[in-house]
Amino acid sequence: MKEADPSTNEREFLLQALKDGARIDGRKFYDFRTLRLEFGSEYGAVEVQLGNTRVLAKVSCEVIRPYTDKPTEGFLTFNTELSPMASAAFEVGRQTDEEVLVSRLIEKAMKRSRALDTEGLCIVAGEKVWSIRVDIHFLDHDGNLVDAACIAAITALLHFRRPDVTVVGEDVTIHTLEQRNPVPLSVHHIPICVTFAFFDNGERMIVDPTFLEEQVKEGDMTMTLNVHKEVCALSKAGGIPMDLDQILQCTRVAIVKVTEITAQIQAALDTDAKKRQVSRK
Amino acid sequence: MSRLDRTRTSAHQLRPFFSSQNLLNRADGSAQFDFGGSSVLCSVVGPAEVKIRQEKLDKATIEVIARPLVGLPGVADKARERSIQETLEPLILSSLHPRTLVQIVVQTMKDDGCILSTAFNATILALLDAGIPLQSILGSVTCMIDSETNEILLDPTTEELARSKSTHVFVFDNKTSIAGSANKDQAKDQDQDQDSLEGAILYSDSTGIFTENEYFECAHAGFKAAQAVHGFIRTAVQKKLEKEYQQTQA
Repeated sequence: MKEADPSTNEREFLLQALKDGARIDGRKFYDFRTLRLEFGSEYGAVEVQLGNTRVLAKVSCEVIRPYTDKPTEGFLTFNTELSPMASAAFEVGRQTDEEVLVSRLIEKAMKRSRALDTEGLCIVAGEKVWSIRVDIHFLDHDGNLVDAACIAAITALLHFRRPDVTVVGEDVTIHTLEQRNPVPLSVHHIPICVTFAFFDNGERMIVDPTFLEEQVKEGDMTMTLNVHKEVCALSKAGGIPMDLDQILQCTRVAIVKVTEITAQIQAALDTDAKKRQVSRK
Repeated sequence: MSRLDRTRTSAHQLRPFFSSQNLLNRADGSAQFDFGGSSVLCSVVGPAEVKIRQEKLDKATIEVIARPLVGLPGVADKARERSIQETLEPLILSSLHPRTLVQIVVQTMKDDGCILSTAFNATILALLDAGIPLQSILGSVTCMIDSETNEILLDPTTEELARSKSTHVFVFDNKTSIAGSANKDQAKDQDQDQDSLEGAILYSDSTGIFTENEYFECAHAGFKAAQAVHGFIRTAVQKKLEKEYQQTQA
């Protein structure tokens, strides 16, 4: 099923509103939609809602043999297949450009920024390492899949606990969750994506575009930063050209957003940890 | 008799149900259904444009896509797709919408056993939410026979399933179940009750080794439990409609 283009009326209304300094959902230009994080009963399962966009991330792990040229490196893989549940325009088994872009961005933001310590996943060098898998399920598409997926992925990784292992000589024992407290992954920093959309020949810049805004936009850019004000990734695939000043302006906006989102993720993780402690007693 | 699942006291007890409809804004209908720690989200789009390759001239094409929680879709997911599709095809009044597509996506959200049953129940709720015309409503329950005690356990968890000798998934439709319960009042005879039950099964899938008697016992236990599921679906739809009605009044 092909995605229907927005009607001329919808398009004109949105553009006129932007010119008058308003967005159709009542947000300010640099506002994110309400972010909601919900943890599942298991470790490493998180459902993220960014306005109407919904993403579920599930982390799982298994023990495998490492590559011979990197005997101490664990694996971190992402599965970001766009399911037709999010939008009927996504087909099973056929990758769209959008899907390639989303998965590339997630990989760049998470893997290449070395957010997760893959060396720490080694059990026996050259023999056994942990392979961490993050399955990202897109449930509802109302724009800005990348930011929602990125928040879901990093929150799930922070929430995840892998089984404890003991190594005696060559023997490796993997303890079940009942036998020993599972251990968290060592996450170096929390990369957060912030997506901008541009309108009006680049005059207007908004954060966290909805689906309709994405359809009407003239260009976009995704920035990945962490709270230490480090830029982890920057992606601008096509669209209108931009000034250097504007990119710098984007980083200034993004850093504020990243600080807010990181604080919210930490708060949600703390609340969940407390809840788990109470239920264990 | 105690169960491995400590939250339940009897063998025929089901885990608490939970459902919510109309969760997703892009789909025409959606619903989540939980059996305790198992949860499935289902979305329905349709009647919509169909690809020429899939087009049927006299009725709507029903497409089911099942997606696992972890990893890429495999054989088990394809089997689940097939089961759901073949059970739903006669249930949906597809001749009302010829040359269209009804696309159903079934996503596992939490897995603690009985995913197929949970998926069936989520699907029917999503179809109701999407307003797809149906002939009747289904309700699904899974049961297993314990390898040690030979006892029939309803709605088993993953932990309990590891000890199963055989597992049975049943889907019952609500039309015949009402007829079945009416029969029960008229005839106290057990045999007659079982006769009416046979017609009510829409889908039955059994794995493992079991005797004919055991199968019928399972079917009977499942049939009784399915009444609770039917009742729950009924209440869920009723509550949703009441809420929608209030919203239109306000």
